[in-house]
Amino acid sequence: MLLKATNIKKSYGNKFNRTEVLKGIDLNLKKGEFVTIMGASGSGKTTLLNVLSSIDKVTSGHIYIDNFDFTTLKDKELADFRKKDLGFIFQEYNLLDTLTVKENIMLPLSIRSMSKSEAENQFETIASQLGISDLKNKYPSQISGGQAQRTSAARAFIHQPKIIFADEPTGALDSKSASDLLKKLQQLNENLNTSVLMVTHDATAASFSHRVVFLKDGLVYTSLSRGDMSQDDYYSEILDTQRVLGGVLDESK
Amino acid sequence: MNLNSLIIKNFTRNLKNYALYIFALVFSVALFFSLLTLTFDEKAGEEISQSTAMNALFSVGSVVIVIIIIFFVMFANLIFIKRRHRELALYQLIGMNKSKVFRILLVENFIIYFGSLVLGIILGFFISRLLLMILMKIIGVDLMVEMSFSMVAALTTAGVFVFIFICLLIQNRIFLGRHQLIDLLKLNKVSESSQRPIGVTTALFGILGIVMVAVGYFLSSQMFDMAMEMPVLLPILMLGILFLTIVGTYLIFKCGVALILNFFRKRKAGHVNVKDVLSTTSIMFKMRSNAFLLTIITVITAISITAMSLSYINFYSTEKMLESTEPYDYTVETSEDIDFYEDMLNDEGYSISRYEKEFLLFNVQMDNQMETNLASQDIEGIQYPIVSDADFEGYDVSENEVYATGTMAILDFFTDLEAGTPMTFTTTEGFEKTVQVSKVYSEAVLPTRLTFGMPTLVVDDKVYKELMENEVVSEIDAERPTELAAFNIVEGDNEDVLEMMDKEENPAFSSQQMSYNEMIQTSGILMFVLGYLGFAFLLTSGCILYFKQIDECESEKGSYQVLRKLGFTNNEILRGLVNKMVISFGIPLFIGLLHSIFAVRSGWFIFGVEMWRPTLLVMLIYTILYSIFALMSLLYYKKTVSKSL
Repeated sequence: MLLKATNIKKSYGNKFNRTEVLKGIDLNLKKGEFVTIMGASGSGKTTLLNVLSSIDKVTSGHIYIDNFDFTTLKDKELADFRKKDLGFIFQEYNLLDTLTVKENIMLPLSIRSMSKSEAENQFETIASQLGISDLKNKYPSQISGGQAQRTSAARAFIHQPKIIFADEPTGALDSKSASDLLKKLQQLNENLNTSVLMVTHDATAASFSHRVVFLKDGLVYTSLSRGDMSQDDYYSEILDTQRVLGGVLDESK
Repeated sequence: MNLNSLIIKNFTRNLKNYALYIFALVFSVALFFSLLTLTFDEKAGEEISQSTAMNALFSVGSVVIVIIIIFFVMFANLIFIKRRHRELALYQLIGMNKSKVFRILLVENFIIYFGSLVLGIILGFFISRLLLMILMKIIGVDLMVEMSFSMVAALTTAGVFVFIFICLLIQNRIFLGRHQLIDLLKLNKVSESSQRPIGVTTALFGILGIVMVAVGYFLSSQMFDMAMEMPVLLPILMLGILFLTIVGTYLIFKCGVALILNFFRKRKAGHVNVKDVLSTTSIMFKMRSNAFLLTIITVITAISITAMSLSYINFYSTEKMLESTEPYDYTVETSEDIDFYEDMLNDEGYSISRYEKEFLLFNVQMDNQMETNLASQDIEGIQYPIVSDADFEGYDVSENEVYATGTMAILDFFTDLEAGTPMTFTTTEGFEKTVQVSKVYSEAVLPTRLTFGMPTLVVDDKVYKELMENEVVSEIDAERPTELAAFNIVEGDNEDVLEMMDKEENPAFSSQQMSYNEMIQTSGILMFVLGYLGFAFLLTSGCILYFKQIDECESEKGSYQVLRKLGFTNNEILRGLVNKMVISFGIPLFIGLLHSIFAVRSGWFIFGVEMWRPTLLVMLIYTILYSIFALMSLLYYKKTVSKSL
């Protein structure tokens, strides 16, 4: 098991006024697995991703990556851990607009003792797989949203992390760019055997993954594996589950 | 909740953001008001003999300060209003019309502005008393500083600041009018300049800028030499140098810095580390869009450092200058005058040592004399006063030598009085004698009023006699004095002695003490006013850079968040930011300092006898005070970075 989270709880606020966002979540992620977390707004999916990716701290519970519990680490050690083992893709691309595409992608390699030619090779491999080699000397303000998000994905993959965390990666893209990106993600996931944990509320996006975990009000509601299903069937399954999960059913009760 | 309570609430909440702005405003008011108070201080005016000069200087100073303050306040206002664009947009979103939003700004500004005005006047009042004490100390005048409040100064200050307030209102009105609601909502998202790769034009202009500044520097070091040959050139050269350096500076900021940073960046071929991300790559673009502002700050820094250095050189050199212009306590016209004063002073218990010497004037030609200098008199050479070493203690010159005394730095341009150069005494009747200059002193043996500013040559007694025998006295020269009558007070000169002698009915004299007082007052006041203006410049340009950094920090917040999410630690990011501060504050300062070194170097000899020590001292103090602003910005960045995740 690459990632194992047990009884994760997270609450905000002070002693007198607490809101519990995560109420005890268990989650596993195998090596090379592509898992999606879905749920309505406010179900705690982004909080869960932040906690699992060490950006936010848990209130209680343990998270193991390769059987190592990082919830007890200090800020600085956590930062090192993120640098080495994790990759991120955000909804707003989060590219640094004073850097060129290439420089943005190479950034995570800067702290590694890697020879220049090795780094260059790494860049060429990833960039050509994502189809952005031609853009390498452009600035983020000169490229399209889809290209920016693929740049962001390249940055997440370049240092060969153990897990990629993607927070609504298609949220700001049109449907064509979105499915392009997801196909690439799927490819990289297969080729490099890197695990991906993605948060989305878009069923189409979710249908590219191996497994979908549905959250509701801070708890795991259900989970759905693709298995041998075709992507189309899988997509309708996801939609059905989403409908059950939604508020309409509750009201009709 | 009505509009007024909204305004009040908003204001108190925002107060922390305004803290530095208010501080700067209070300080500007205080600076202006205290300078005005000094101008109107009659008591001080009576004590200072150069009071008209002082008033004139102070008035010029206060006009300059008003201009700085207007520029500064409007800049700060623009930054603050931009920072609040979201709030302004929100007001309009809930249906407030623009004139109502304008009213909110008006009331807020009114409170801030006039609160600062009152605070500033109070603070300025105390500062002015303190300043007066400092000024009196500098120029050596004893005066009990009283607590007198000048109503005229207060009213003038208020008037000026009401005018600035109106400027601000117009500025806010224009800002609101120009920006549509959608612009306000989006303002944060548009970065200041769209990032584009650096093209050939940028490279060319960058190089042009560096070349222009270099040529300007070169010309500045040649300026006076060239102007000696053709005086007409001087104003043209000065304007040319100003033009070259200012435009060159602008181009350096606009293109040169980006070019240089880009060069280093290219060499990394994409392998940037987090330090580069935060410093070089971001500054590359920021400097380009701030080129105009940075040029103004740099030029102002250069001007104020130059002015302060020159005035300090002047002040610093006063005593040394006196040694070469007024070597004796008192110089009178005849021996009878000395007798008169000796009697008078002996009655009061003072004894004097008398100096009654003769000297002669002789034509001197120097082999390597710059022929073009003083072209009208050439061939015949220049007339130098000559004295015998037997007459003056401490000089022992051998037969083939000559010592030059009383040479000031400024004379270097007219003569080549350097140790080792041969010089020939000549007459129209064919007499010639060549000796070698072996030592050059800035101290004088004869006061300037006898030498007319020329260095005095000390020769061996034998040579002196030889020259005396061969002297040819022309009609014009016969009018010139050839006798020295001077005396020193054995017990040491002081104000009492000077006061005793300084009476209408007594014979005329010139006094070292009196010259000293006059010189120190003029140069002291000049230094004081320039130092004051320099301080105001420093304060405002430092604040402007600080505000600019705060602004940049806010717009780069997102980047820090990304970097921290990617796993860069606080410290790694801060190290990059330290670099950024060093470059953003360092480059304008460095160029400013370099400009002023060359400016001072081109003309310091007019003001005094020593260049490096006073100049470096001024620069050091300026740099230290200036660094405080860089440090403050860094602290702000630090706070933002640690809060960003």
